[in-house]
Amino acid sequence: MKEVFLPGNLEELWRALEREPAPRPYCGGTDLLVHLRSGKTDPDALVCLERIPELSGVREEEGGLWIGAATTHARLLDDPLVRARLPLLARALSTLGSPPVRNMGTIGGNICTASPAGDTLPPLYALDGEVELRSRDSSRRMPLRRFITGPGETALRPDEILAGVRVTPDGTYNVHHFEKIGIRRAMACSIASLAALLRVSSSGEIEAARLAWGSVGPTVVVSGEAEQALLGKRLTRDVLEDAAERARKAVSPIDDVRASAAYRREVSGNLLLRLMEHRPL
Amino acid sequence: MKPSVPEIGRSLRRADGPSKVTGREKYAADHYGEGLLWAGVRRAGVPHGRILSVDTAEAAALPGVVAVLTGGDVPGTNRQGIVHKDQPVLCREKVRHFGDAVALVIAGDRETLAKAISLVRVRMEPLPGVFGVDDALAPGAPLVHEEWSGGNVLLRATIRNGEAEKALEACPVIVEETFEVPPQAHAFLETENGVAWQEEDGTVVLVVSTQAPFRDKWEVSHALGLPWDGIRVVGPVLGGGFGGKDGATVQCLLALAALHAGGRRVKMWWDREENFLAGYKRHGARLHYRLGAREDGTLHALHCRLFYDTGAYAHLGGEVMALGMEHAGGPYRIPHTLIEGWCVYTNHPVAGAMRGFGVAQVSFAAERMMDLLAGKLGMDPLELRKRNALRQGDRNCAGVTLTASTGILECLERIGGHPLWTGRETWKGQAGPFKKRGVGLAAVWNAMGYGRGLPDSALAKIELTPEGRLRLYSGVSDMGQGNATAFVQIAGHILSQEDETIELIQPDTARTLPSGSSAAGRTTYTYGNALIPACEELRRRIVGRAALMLLVDTLDDLELLPGRVRHPASGREVPLSVLAATMTEHERICISQFLMPVVREVPGTGKEFRIGFPHLFFAHAAHLARIEVDELTGTIEVKDWLAATEAGRVLNPQGFEQQVQGAVAQGIGYGTLEEVKLREGRILTPDFAAYILPGSLDVPEIISLVEEVEEPTGPYGMKGVGEVGANGPLPAIANALADGCGISMTRAPLTAERVLEALRRKGTPGAGETS
Ligand SMILES: Cc1cc2nc3c(=O)[nH]c(=O)nc-3n(C[C@H](O)[C@H](O)[C@H](O)COP(=O)(O)OP(=O)(O)OC[C@H]3O[C@@H](n4cnc5c(N)ncnc54)[C@H](O)[C@@H]3O)c2cc1C
Repeated sequence: MKEVFLPGNLEELWRALEREPAPRPYCGGTDLLVHLRSGKTDPDALVCLERIPELSGVREEEGGLWIGAATTHARLLDDPLVRARLPLLARALSTLGSPPVRNMGTIGGNICTASPAGDTLPPLYALDGEVELRSRDSSRRMPLRRFITGPGETALRPDEILAGVRVTPDGTYNVHHFEKIGIRRAMACSIASLAALLRVSSSGEIEAARLAWGSVGPTVVVSGEAEQALLGKRLTRDVLEDAAERARKAVSPIDDVRASAAYRREVSGNLLLRLMEHRPL
Repeated sequence: MKPSVPEIGRSLRRADGPSKVTGREKYAADHYGEGLLWAGVRRAGVPHGRILSVDTAEAAALPGVVAVLTGGDVPGTNRQGIVHKDQPVLCREKVRHFGDAVALVIAGDRETLAKAISLVRVRMEPLPGVFGVDDALAPGAPLVHEEWSGGNVLLRATIRNGEAEKALEACPVIVEETFEVPPQAHAFLETENGVAWQEEDGTVVLVVSTQAPFRDKWEVSHALGLPWDGIRVVGPVLGGGFGGKDGATVQCLLALAALHAGGRRVKMWWDREENFLAGYKRHGARLHYRLGAREDGTLHALHCRLFYDTGAYAHLGGEVMALGMEHAGGPYRIPHTLIEGWCVYTNHPVAGAMRGFGVAQVSFAAERMMDLLAGKLGMDPLELRKRNALRQGDRNCAGVTLTASTGILECLERIGGHPLWTGRETWKGQAGPFKKRGVGLAAVWNAMGYGRGLPDSALAKIELTPEGRLRLYSGVSDMGQGNATAFVQIAGHILSQEDETIELIQPDTARTLPSGSSAAGRTTYTYGNALIPACEELRRRIVGRAALMLLVDTLDDLELLPGRVRHPASGREVPLSVLAATMTEHERICISQFLMPVVREVPGTGKEFRIGFPHLFFAHAAHLARIEVDELTGTIEVKDWLAATEAGRVLNPQGFEQQVQGAVAQGIGYGTLEEVKLREGRILTPDFAAYILPGSLDVPEIISLVEEVEEPTGPYGMKGVGEVGANGPLPAIANALADGCGISMTRAPLTAERVLEALRRKGTPGAGETS
């Protein structure tokens, strides 16, 4: 039996977190409960963030969007702001788990789990997402790319929680592409994924490119080289093959029960070819 | 659907439908009891090892622990197994696979149980392991069972007809290939479980999720040395079985626990991880084929060498291989066959029965060979199959002359006339960028019944209760396949009673009669055939009694109706409640036995098979798969499915279609996703996060066409349909891959990674050239 705290506001949360030893924060529990069952983690007590209004929802702020850490994937998928301004994230969310998992799981949980296979991470990297970390006495921001320090590792301090993530979408991108390879067509952990944002001019020239790969390295992989290879070019097979070759060099995948490193490396490049099908919006 | 008097050939509401959807139906897992104790097993944790000591002191000292038992505490032979008694209830000297049972713990609650299991100290000397067919057959290989005379070979057998080797040499066209299939998990929802207790008179009662309650009695009695008549097994409906609950899972362990529980109820319920670790699997196999034909496509000779990995214990390994060998040539005429089989022991999880019992494996090879041959001959694959399809009167690849209904040709013709086949070239031409489309066929068959050597018998029992209602005693488990519904349909039809009013008693060795296992596509055929005469006799008795009561002197003038018998001429009626009250128990209960017919002219080959060879009846099916392959990822999307199935006449169209659909879905899993991955005996796919089953998006709309060919010996002309559909998907998808992408896959499942690798080797543009 574990003690579980259910704070209804931030003040109650801070009080709960002052206990010794500090209870472990969680939200949907869709990652944490799996680890509790397997014995991989065994905190004395838990504190649930899902009932704290300050940590939920989506709002426009500073020209971008602020997304509360405790917002569920299902709620994000339904959110008109997310759908209109973050189609890349919405596409990734629609491949995450299954309806029940999306009803429970949260974006904050996905970020804090910091799995290389976390499906919200490649889009958030491509979008240059920024995390907001809070404790009773402090609030700080940092780029997501710095927050995630390794597989399952973050820069979160013991007294902190993730309060939200801030994304400032650049409306000039006109190709928003996300693709995930899983063993089955839904409810599948990512074997490799690609999030891509492109700005393609009316004459077909690629003016800007942001690329991020999931599940092919200890954390999300970005490759300036692959992005560079696209700039000033067109979405032709040769151009994409060239970028694909660079992507294969940039990734550092592992073998696991789902796929070999060699397969992951190969498809990391292949996934770029799908961009050929894209006509700018 | 409203309550009605069932008709044969018309869909009937499932007898278990309302009780299951409302949660009233009690599975074994729903049985608890006051003062319940929990039992659990300490597993080996190594694939092969000699037990030096098992120290139970610490575990036994834990408060709340009732008993900790080891091999030395097992009375009786401590051996279980359906044909070969080679599997200890609790290992004494050595362990042979990761999930072998070393100690049994009984405790007051689940937390204490888990703790106590972890406190059992096992000292083990690791032994070199046997991890696959090659290891098992290598000279000087370590022995899995030192005492077994065959070394690591459980069964070596040969089916020989004609002169295959010579005939192959004379064939103008020969194709040759080696295939591999992995173990598959049954993945039923309700994991292995049961509750047991000992009554005051010493009787041990088990309520268990089982496909073979009557055989369980023998198993427990033999393994624990208990008197056979001192054991009662109750087998409620199962939350899935697929073969994985045919054979002892928790039975002997639970009965042993009951002997140490002082009359309290003891429950054992494997979690999913334990189900993967200790439960049975479909046999992994390697299949080497050489097939020769004449220039016109007439099959002439087949030589195959089949290797089945049965894991640590025999279970039904020999019988599974026997059935695979019997079907190795596919549903075709092949005059010369040499089919060699090796079933070997390894330090892998125990392989046993699973839907498509040995046949799902060879169907992959046989049907790929047909397409390879068609390619070499430049023939249409459907034409090649039709040309060689077995007809009644032909001899099959096992040398048995087919005297029963044989409808494979009709199934192939149905596929050939369907727009999914005739319109395939247009459809293939419409593939989008980076997509390739292919269409594949498979013709498959599956025997029904136990085969020669093991009487396939059922004893049906039907009662008119003193209150005037029907009570049907089913002796053969319903694991969801719907046989109990078929029994209600038959009884209601013959006795003119509405389905809802018929009470169904599930198997219970104290109340129902031995009717064999729920297996081999036999349940409705065998039990149904026993039930018909029992119901007809009861009908005569009811009408006869009504005649006495209504003073009518010929039975023809009476009509049996729901709840009553009527004399139409006079309008007089007698309610069954009144009528039944006048009858003695002897009059109200009818029992009848049926024994499945067997092959009369047994071929002079396959002599090594003690039981289970050959078979007389087969169900047939032709499948068509339309798939789309992504050239960038290797992913297969199954787009359309067509299954034409012949299993005699259809009793219940809805039940028939459900069997086809389920089998295809399970087969798509086997074909594209599912693989119990092993490294040195350890399961790398220990749960549903790693062992991937198909979901609703992986299974397309399935069109089921029914080809009815009456089987005169069947109840209302039917044969079993449960298994045949599972054999089609893997080969049909592999053939579609070859059609669409020109790649010939030899290893299942056909994962995206394997497909992409094959595409790359073939140099298909689109797939990256480097890696
Ligand atoms: C069946 C199944 C399928 C899944 N499929 C996918 C999939 O396809 N793609 C995918 O990416 N993921 C998948 N997941 C994983 C999981 O659902 C997601 O990562 C989800 O977003 C986690 O959110 P949660 O709120 O449930 O996290 P929780 O389990 O509540 O928490 C996860 C971790 O983050 C910490 N944490 C959570 N919120 C905070 C916070 N605000 N501040 C500080 N720490 C916090 C917790 O301490 C814990 O360590 C799947 C899980 C399951 C069970």
